[in-house]
Amino acid sequence: MSEARIEVSNLVVRYGGVIAVDGVSFTVGRGEHVTLLGPSGCGKTTTLRAIAGLEEPSAGAIRIDGRAVYSSAERRNVPSEKRGVSMVFQSYAVWPHMTVFDNVAYGLRVRKLPRTEVAEQVERALGLVQMREFASRPASNLSGGQQQRVALARAVAFSPTVVLFDEPLSNLDAKLRAEMRVELHELQRRLGITSVYVTHDQEEALAISDRVIVMNNGGIEQVGSPETIYNRPKSRFVADFVGSANLIGGRMKSSPNGPGPVLFETAGGVLLQARAAHAPHGDEDRVAIRTAYIDLALAPPNNAPNAAAGNVRQRLFHGDFIQYIVDWPAGQLIVRRPPTELFEEGAAVTISFAAEHCVLLET
Amino acid sequence: MRGSFPRVSTQSIVTLLILLVCGGLVLYPMVFLAEEALNVGDPQEFPLQEWGLGNFAALGEDWHILANTGLVACLATVMAVIFGFVVAWILTRARVPGGSRLERLMELPYYMTPLVGALAWAILASPRTGALNQLWHAIGGNGDLFDIYSPFGIAWVMALFEGTVAFVMISAAMKSMDPSLEETSRVLGAGKFRTVMKVTLPLVMPGVLGATIFVFAEMLGSFAAAYVLGIPGRYYVITTAIWQATTSYPPDYGRAAAMGISLFAVMLVTLTIYRLIVRRGNYTTITGKAFRPRAMDVGRATWVLLAVCWAYILVAVVLPMLALLLTSFQRFATVIVGQMQFTLVNYENAVRFAAVRSALVNSLVLGFGVATFGVLFMTVLVWIIYRSRAPGHGLIEYVAMFPQAVPRLVFGLALLWAWLNIPIPIYGTLWLLALAYFTVLMPLGVRTLAGVMLQIDKSLEECARVCGASWGYQLRTVTMPLLRPGIVAAWLLLFIASVRELGVSIFLVGPNAQVIAPSIASAWLSSSTELSTALAIIQTSAVFVALAILFRATRRFSGELR
Repeated sequence: MSEARIEVSNLVVRYGGVIAVDGVSFTVGRGEHVTLLGPSGCGKTTTLRAIAGLEEPSAGAIRIDGRAVYSSAERRNVPSEKRGVSMVFQSYAVWPHMTVFDNVAYGLRVRKLPRTEVAEQVERALGLVQMREFASRPASNLSGGQQQRVALARAVAFSPTVVLFDEPLSNLDAKLRAEMRVELHELQRRLGITSVYVTHDQEEALAISDRVIVMNNGGIEQVGSPETIYNRPKSRFVADFVGSANLIGGRMKSSPNGPGPVLFETAGGVLLQARAAHAPHGDEDRVAIRTAYIDLALAPPNNAPNAAAGNVRQRLFHGDFIQYIVDWPAGQLIVRRPPTELFEEGAAVTISFAAEHCVLLET
Repeated sequence: MRGSFPRVSTQSIVTLLILLVCGGLVLYPMVFLAEEALNVGDPQEFPLQEWGLGNFAALGEDWHILANTGLVACLATVMAVIFGFVVAWILTRARVPGGSRLERLMELPYYMTPLVGALAWAILASPRTGALNQLWHAIGGNGDLFDIYSPFGIAWVMALFEGTVAFVMISAAMKSMDPSLEETSRVLGAGKFRTVMKVTLPLVMPGVLGATIFVFAEMLGSFAAAYVLGIPGRYYVITTAIWQATTSYPPDYGRAAAMGISLFAVMLVTLTIYRLIVRRGNYTTITGKAFRPRAMDVGRATWVLLAVCWAYILVAVVLPMLALLLTSFQRFATVIVGQMQFTLVNYENAVRFAAVRSALVNSLVLGFGVATFGVLFMTVLVWIIYRSRAPGHGLIEYVAMFPQAVPRLVFGLALLWAWLNIPIPIYGTLWLLALAYFTVLMPLGVRTLAGVMLQIDKSLEECARVCGASWGYQLRTVTMPLLRPGIVAAWLLLFIASVRELGVSIFLVGPNAQVIAPSIASAWLSSSTELSTALAIIQTSAVFVALAILFRATRRFSGELR
């Protein structure tokens, strides 16, 4: 038996003439929490639904615990109900014609468990999401957050090994979403389940995952830990979609063989020391600098690398941070500083950032 | 397991079966009809020996029938759209007391049926003897105020009792308009009138145009009013001409079939134009959401507008019902108060005459049977159309909705011809009527159920599958219970439609298989006015009881869903 719990290989899903998922491969280890992150229409939900058996792929294979649940080569497509996975839907899909108890008990009753065990497991699942006292309520009069909890309880009640999450928090308001994120994180780890989570919210993806898979246009852009994705974006798309970054055009000045910074000349003639996550091929034309990694100071620039003089053009107060737009020789930079660091509009400032935060993009 | 796609195969078998059954029921009669239209030899010959376009060429001689049809359909369409537009505007855009109740009342004329409406208006507006003309004389008027046995009279009845669809479609267009579009115009400084002219009207125009074309197609295929009001004066439109051709001696099936096929072709073209317009014109108005547009305060005009609505109810419901009731309790139909003799004998006859009694019982039996079986079958059918991915599921929709494009009477003729010519002996029995009702009512049931099915979030069902439920278990525990409002509504609508059915029934009834609507018509045409009104009252009562249950049920369900 292979180590991977879920193994997706060369998955292709077509809708008529449109290719929604174009040859995607990845694995999810036992107890691992992997997130598919991407903008709407990138194929992440389709991939998830293909794993659940709700979408019929056109090619490729999906294995769960080493068993092919879909394989175009073997002409095999195991129906949803026989895959043994569980899923939390974006719309919660809590059945309005049943009570909370009946909703949670559904997966247990389908499996024809004895009545006492059904009651026991439902009790346990509702306890996990603090909904025990709601058991006899009709599911139709629950708030969004409560429905979300019922959906969660239902998904884990029959002790599945794999739980799929399809943007489960996207219908909640911001405050509740932040709370549920914490709870979900805890629940995943406590139950020791393997999860695949789909979201377009990069903050959510970074917060709850062991590994993030960034998708775009039906393909995978980058796979890595949340820190890697944030600090070492490989492509322009990842740098732009995850977090906020300045993308600066220019050309490579040197291509050293081996570790150490590379030299990059921006369009405005500024020389920057940058890092590359890949072996540079010399024709890269863009670096990315996270808005949070740029320092501003009133002192004039010294000769340190990646320091330049600039001018504050605009200041926007956001509460948790202040966003500055700063003019500098290479154009404009967006800089986010904590609200304790206050600069006036029009002030002359020195811009600086570490070479490791100036990332040479592969594409 | 190897080499099989289990989920697909269960559903594909069901899909294939449904496709075969529905396809057979729907297309087989039409093939027969087309064949008969091309038959220029012995009309009883099957399969046909000599074929040609002679029957179609002969239609040229009937140009006056075509002209009549065009005239009546145009008049009726214009009237129906004007009624519909005015009332829809009043009830959706102006603030009038009791608006939502009135909206429901507006649907009543449709359920009364054009057959009953035509009887009632014949009593109200016959030349000389009609109640309205009598009243006119009494107040010193000369001649007749209104002759119902005229093209205009036929169109009037058609517009009143079949034009409801115009009202429903136009108010849907008005309701689906985002009120913020109008509010933006007001905020930008345009007055009420300018807003109506520049924003409201252009946005509802596609809806109105669509309704006009749709209603026109319906009117072309309309039968009952022209049958009751046109036959006595030998004023034929195409549907009554088809009927005439099949019942005269010797029956001219070729001519009837050619007319039927032509009418079907014209209707198909018209409905295609309608579809194109609706699809193209659907830009901003239809957002999929039903808005409750902000009603305009119309000040003193409120009472005028309210009066317009009630006037419509008066001429389309109250007066006809009064006329029918009054006549049904008389020994001899008259509107002269001094000559009235009241009696219950007409209702007694309705129960006593074996033929009439069996017609009543048969209609009820058919209503219950077709509604019950139909709903079960159509639920699975609708599920497959909208949820399945089995090959052929899209085709089912076309097949199931096809009868809608065929005028009822033409379909009746096609069924008659088809079932006469195959060796399954159900012609002249209730079975054939049941099969025919099921076929022609499929679009109604499918549309009603689809409306609810589309409101059910797909993931509610998917979740059941992921939780481990099989297709059948999911249908039973999730789909059916969630679909309950649709199932109840579809059952009642199918029941109502069966009880009032005329166009198909009139061809398929036999000595041992009578139903109520054709009995009403034949009682009327054989001058048993009093008996026919009693039957009309019985039919209408049955329909209204079902309708009352439907309204109650939908209100309760919509309360549940909130």
